[in-house]
Amino acid sequence: MSENDLSLFAHLLRRAGFGARRDELEAYAAKGYEAVVEELLHPELRPPIEEDILHRYNGWDQGSGMAPAWLYRMINTERPLEEKVALFWHHVFATGTAKAEHPHTNMAQIEMFRHDGFSDMKTILVGLSRDPAMIHWLDNNENHKDEPNENYGRELLELFSMGVGHYTETDIKMAGRAFTGWTFEQPIPLYTTGLYPVNFEYNEDDHDDSVKTFLGQEGRFNGEDIIDIIVNQPATAAFISRHMYNFFVADEPQVPSWDTEPPQDPNAIEMLSKAYFDSDGEIRPMLRVLFNSDFFKEARFKKVKNPAELVTGVIKLVGTDRWPTPGFARYASATTVMGQMLMNPPTVEGWHTGSEWINGGTLNERVNFAVNQVADATKPGVGEIVDHLASQDGHVSPGQFVDTCLDLVGSLVVSAATRDGLMEYANAAGEVSFGTEAEREESTAHVVRMLQLIVATREYQFA
Amino acid sequence: MTRPYGLLRAGFPYVKCVGMRRVTNQSMDVAIGKDYTLYVLSRTGAIARLTLDDDDLRPIAGGGEDDGKFVWPVAMLIDDDENLWISDESLNRISVITTEGEFVRKWGEAGEGDGQLNGVSGISFDPEGDVYVADTLNHRVQKFTNEGKFLLKWGGLGDAEGQFNMPWGIKVDELGDVYVADWRNDRVQKFNAEGKFLFAFGSSGSEKGQFNRPAGVEVDADGDIYIADAGNDRVQQFNVDGLYMEQFLGDATLSKSMRRYVLSNGRTLRLREMASDLEAQKRFRNPRSIRLDDQARMYVADFGSFRIQIYQKDVVPLAEGEIDVPLRAPTLFTT
Repeated sequence: MSENDLSLFAHLLRRAGFGARRDELEAYAAKGYEAVVEELLHPELRPPIEEDILHRYNGWDQGSGMAPAWLYRMINTERPLEEKVALFWHHVFATGTAKAEHPHTNMAQIEMFRHDGFSDMKTILVGLSRDPAMIHWLDNNENHKDEPNENYGRELLELFSMGVGHYTETDIKMAGRAFTGWTFEQPIPLYTTGLYPVNFEYNEDDHDDSVKTFLGQEGRFNGEDIIDIIVNQPATAAFISRHMYNFFVADEPQVPSWDTEPPQDPNAIEMLSKAYFDSDGEIRPMLRVLFNSDFFKEARFKKVKNPAELVTGVIKLVGTDRWPTPGFARYASATTVMGQMLMNPPTVEGWHTGSEWINGGTLNERVNFAVNQVADATKPGVGEIVDHLASQDGHVSPGQFVDTCLDLVGSLVVSAATRDGLMEYANAAGEVSFGTEAEREESTAHVVRMLQLIVATREYQFA
Repeated sequence: MTRPYGLLRAGFPYVKCVGMRRVTNQSMDVAIGKDYTLYVLSRTGAIARLTLDDDDLRPIAGGGEDDGKFVWPVAMLIDDDENLWISDESLNRISVITTEGEFVRKWGEAGEGDGQLNGVSGISFDPEGDVYVADTLNHRVQKFTNEGKFLLKWGGLGDAEGQFNMPWGIKVDELGDVYVADWRNDRVQKFNAEGKFLFAFGSSGSEKGQFNRPAGVEVDADGDIYIADAGNDRVQQFNVDGLYMEQFLGDATLSKSMRRYVLSNGRTLRLREMASDLEAQKRFRNPRSIRLDDQARMYVADFGSFRIQIYQKDVVPLAEGEIDVPLRAPTLFTT
């Protein structure tokens, strides 16, 4: 197995998952690339997370427990693409807890993404339109026959399916009217015994059943009819394809500029759009095309890690937190100070991604988090890197030292200038060796320092 | 104390609720003081103090690693001196505090060796005052003196008789026998005081007598066994032989503190009025512990609904001669 192959698998697992350690990469590589893609695309082939363990230890029925629980899933799931797809849809259909104050509904929405995320756009959009968290987030519970509220209809078109420039204000109003009566049952309030699940409710008496004209078609459209029309639009295929490209392949400009800024790789969008129509809007075949494409394989380190990716990738690298701990909330705090409070995006537009993840403050947080995590040589993942170096015969030259460490943090490719900087430290450290306890102790300190330097590089910020 | 020869089971009605969200958050366990003061252990580390009439006597303790604080508390006992004993599965220690929250002592250290703990959860006194604990992640039971000196252990990971998979609740009855809620094996095992296996009951599922991650276990003076069947959102009662008797799904009404809160909050009143299905609020959600008092009241720590539900056991103890001898087989004769 060549190193290049492992590098490709490292790339795949950063994008279709949350990173992987060396032993995991070797196990994946032994199966072959396309087989691994298929395995990732079929999470049902792998065991689910142990819900009883998560439920027992994680704070239950508490808003503050949601994001830590999700990060625990990302780190420990054997179905990495299932969680990644859920995170993808969370980016696209950004729904926050701040307004609803009902975290159960947000957790239920993420579970819906987990369950339906690979299915087809109609299923996903119908589920989204019936989702109490979304209904409340975009005021569709206030969308009445005699007093329409077009908020959901607008965002359905603008942010969730077609994108600006492919519909009119009249289409928005018609979509809004089609979703009148789509609401939820009033749940038992938080006080005095906590939150209860919320159920979708279709109130026929509050539905505007009049004739509507939408995207050139006319009828007594209800919400599902609107979605039927939407999912057959080329604009929808292109818009979702571009979201997919932006999330899984390479950073695109921010979504609001997509009506004026063309995609950086129109051919990729075209391939994904074709897969969309070839499969009646199914997501799994689109992802299959994406992960097996050359444009994906060639897109290594062309995407800034979002904070959830950065935090989970570092934790997987150091190999800790394979079991719930009270301190798991600190990882949710970490993503928050890096600009991503999971399940609480800043607006319905979601997070601005790519280079906008990085500013003076967030970069500091990202680097400090990673540097602090790799500082402890007793952590399993750090220890494995030490052991790997120690298993090499004799002394490890400075060049070998740098290259091996870069490889073991995820086949990281760095610029010549960055490598020169790492070599400067490696040369100062001299040959590392592990023959005696004293040598091992000294060399382990060098390994830790080298890892700290690597995770502090510009390149490590990219997936 | 001897157990009755037989029982007339007259009923087991719901009595009332105490506590509410914010007062008894994430109720893990409840201890009953001599004057029926209730101490409700929250997963957050706080211990609410309530009268049986649901008056709030101010909380004690709280979250943290300092002495007298808790990170992941699981179970709580009250001893004859009215001190509270609390297990903490994160800190791997048993702490003793007064009912005013003053730290008394602690013991326990992390590890796998004799006397060391890994995720300690259930705790129970035996008739001599020694302490049995469920050493959850070491998959075993350990016995300590009142001062924390190691005495005995048994178990190990597995599903054979005498083995455990993450045991949680533990109870030593007045005869010295030990009952363990074998959490991940979905069963209850009974041992003698030295750890000799006596019998087990339960299997995975939601039918009567089955379990979905049983948490707390309690045994009353009649020998009846109560299991907080957490994953099935119910409490199950078994007789002294492990025969299924009945289940409790929860019958909650508003506690006094709940009524006071709701009646002073017009918005909450309106939202309750709009809610289409109030039945759910009666039911247990992930009950984690059961405790009994000397009046045959059963207290259920209704973890997911932030409260304690209280039931009253109504039985008539029967002496030999007041009830027929046991039959060898079931019969369709009626009398």
